[in-house]
Amino acid sequence: MYKWFLAWRYLHTKLIAFIGIAAVMLCVAMVLVVLSVMGGFLDTVRARSRGLHSEIVLEGGTLQGFPYYAEFAEYVSKKLPDAVRITTPAIFTYGIFRVPVTTYTKPARVLGVRLDDYVQVNDFKKGLHYERYYPATTKLALQQMPVAGFDARGRMLLPSDLEEANERWRQSETDLKTIAAFEADPFSKAFFPDIQPVVSSERVYAVGPGEPAYVGPEEYGIIVGTDLLFYRRPDGNFDRDIARGAGVALTLMPLSPVGNPISEPPVRLPLRYVDDSRTGIFEIDSLSVYVDFEMLQHQLAMDPQPLVDGGFTKARANQLLVGLQPGVDLDGAKERIKAAWREFFLSLGPELTSADERALAFVEVYTWEDMQRQFIQAVEKEKVLVTFLFGMISLVAVVLVVCIFYMIVEKKTKDIGILKALGASGGGVGAIFVVYAGAVGVLGSLLGLGLGSVFVWNINAIQDFLARLNPQLRMWSPEVYSFDRIPEVVKTGDALMIAVLAIVCTMIGSLIPAYVAARVWPVKALRYE
Amino acid sequence: MSKPLLSAKGLHKSYRMGRADVHVLRGASLEADAGEFLVVMGSSGSGKSTLLHILGALDAPDRGTVEFRGRRMFEMPLGVRNSYRNRDVGFVFQFYHLLPELNVLENVLTPCMVGSTFWTWRSRRGQAQRNARELLEQFGLSERLEHRPNELSGGERQRVAIARALVNRPALLLADEPTGNLDEKTGAGILRLLTGLNESGQTIVMVTHDAKVASLAHRRVHLGDGVVRDTGGGAGGAREHAAPSAREAAL
Repeated sequence: MYKWFLAWRYLHTKLIAFIGIAAVMLCVAMVLVVLSVMGGFLDTVRARSRGLHSEIVLEGGTLQGFPYYAEFAEYVSKKLPDAVRITTPAIFTYGIFRVPVTTYTKPARVLGVRLDDYVQVNDFKKGLHYERYYPATTKLALQQMPVAGFDARGRMLLPSDLEEANERWRQSETDLKTIAAFEADPFSKAFFPDIQPVVSSERVYAVGPGEPAYVGPEEYGIIVGTDLLFYRRPDGNFDRDIARGAGVALTLMPLSPVGNPISEPPVRLPLRYVDDSRTGIFEIDSLSVYVDFEMLQHQLAMDPQPLVDGGFTKARANQLLVGLQPGVDLDGAKERIKAAWREFFLSLGPELTSADERALAFVEVYTWEDMQRQFIQAVEKEKVLVTFLFGMISLVAVVLVVCIFYMIVEKKTKDIGILKALGASGGGVGAIFVVYAGAVGVLGSLLGLGLGSVFVWNINAIQDFLARLNPQLRMWSPEVYSFDRIPEVVKTGDALMIAVLAIVCTMIGSLIPAYVAARVWPVKALRYE
Repeated sequence: MSKPLLSAKGLHKSYRMGRADVHVLRGASLEADAGEFLVVMGSSGSGKSTLLHILGALDAPDRGTVEFRGRRMFEMPLGVRNSYRNRDVGFVFQFYHLLPELNVLENVLTPCMVGSTFWTWRSRRGQAQRNARELLEQFGLSERLEHRPNELSGGERQRVAIARALVNRPALLLADEPTGNLDEKTGAGILRLLTGLNESGQTIVMVTHDAKVASLAHRRVHLGDGVVRDTGGGAGGAREHAAPSAREAAL
């Protein structure tokens, strides 16, 4: 009984115990912050990766793409209707993105997609900026530039389809704050024919002197990765400094079925910037643009091309994205689609040209996890490594506990002698210090979990505050970490594990002092005052 | 003749001090009967405290035996010796040796807690507290229960220490110069307390170098050159109870 009683009494009468509690608290908080941020980072990577691709991807493995994608899409939809919900092809190439009015150029990863289908296989739609406020107005087809104007009463208005779309959004939006923010600043003006606004803003439309209208030549639309086109302010918002519908250009290099360039000079496409996309992964948002599948296929000469003998080549795509039925097991579906692909490939038989056969031989079936495996694994390893390193640093706390308890034992030698004179055993006296350390560990862990959790929950606010003081203090750079916000989730399992480890480590740390206490020779301890 | 309560035979003990071995006890033998007040006298450094510590199993002799109620303590396992210190023996030290973090009542209860587990303490606690309060009241400390040792005078501290030594109702009280750190008047009070306890049947073995203090005992022995020599009776002769009047005179 005296072990518990004395440990408790020492705990709240010895100032030095609070140093031990503070050390444990700081270490627990530190490891919790690291584990939560890295774990949250990993979860975000997983979630985002999940939303980037379709569940299953048939990947051509080359830039020139593979033929028979449409035939296989039909084949697999009929063969596995219980697993396959939707298929949509995609083209994947590289090009040069250019904004003519600013002469701004950047390399771009170009994706040709059928937008209506593409948004059904992944989370692409969630990241579209204008589509949110003006639903169903982001299109990749031929279109003109919307120009706001004035009605008879002098009110500034957008073309009616945009105004109606905006009204639909207002009706469906549940977040009143967002609506209020929108109403305070519906859009910023770029005086037509200029595409650059007076002040960079969240939403930018060109404004003409007359009635609202669509003007200019019809061009295909392009969705641009937000980080590719716009500067992100420290407050997290983007400076959109060209108007929606502004003309931009993309320069592409078509390849033949065997991968040789087939056009000279390269194709230069005028396009209209219709929206920008944020997947939340900086590597993607700073590099990707999205255009219409059929248009891109045609421009890259991946559509059927006439042959000298009178026939046509097969249309090519780089990927076939497969969306699965709800609840279908991912790996099981992958295997079935793989088997279907093999069957399909074998059924093609002698009609294949040798170039087509080579291209088809490169086709592989992946799940979204496979596609992002390297990235996810890198983050997983990083999480383990960083947690390990911070855990090692936390061993300093254990050393500190050893030192503190050694000091306490030294100071308490006489008390130990007294207790032994009163019949306490060596083990019992040692146990006082182990229980004492356990209490220090429990209190330190609880306080550390509290401190760490509060820190994690407010980590972005803390960073924003620091960044306001000095932009150099912004530690979480989206260029480095893929995501613009630091994950803010504390997992109960992680927290419990850290607390238990901290308590166990603290108790282990007290074993040496406890052993010393157990070995105190009472006669010597009691000899002098 | 009945067996003595405590019997030590042929105790040898040496310490290493620097490079030299100091042979403190060289075959010391001692007996104390139940109800006896025995004083061991000797000059400083004669080994009185060492002898007392060995009698209380706080230290082990190099050779020799200590028997308590016929049991050879140093042939018993460690647990039995711990329990002997806890239940059968009460120690009173010159420097009180109270635990500074605990108040008076808690200090007195410490031996009871040492002898209980977390679970048995729940059932023993009430009785232990009653015993402790009773003793403290008897020693005039009932107003001081919540005080810490540093808020008490020397005499009060020593009374708390005696209460702590007695709380488990031990058969034997071992006192090591209990008045050595007190002024004469306060020391006299402590001695009165001890003689009073002895008169109510408590066996006491006390070591002191003070002849006046020693005169209170039934029997005095002298420790010199590592052996114990009987020097005859105290206030009332060997193995005979001191006459109260003689004790009063000595105090």
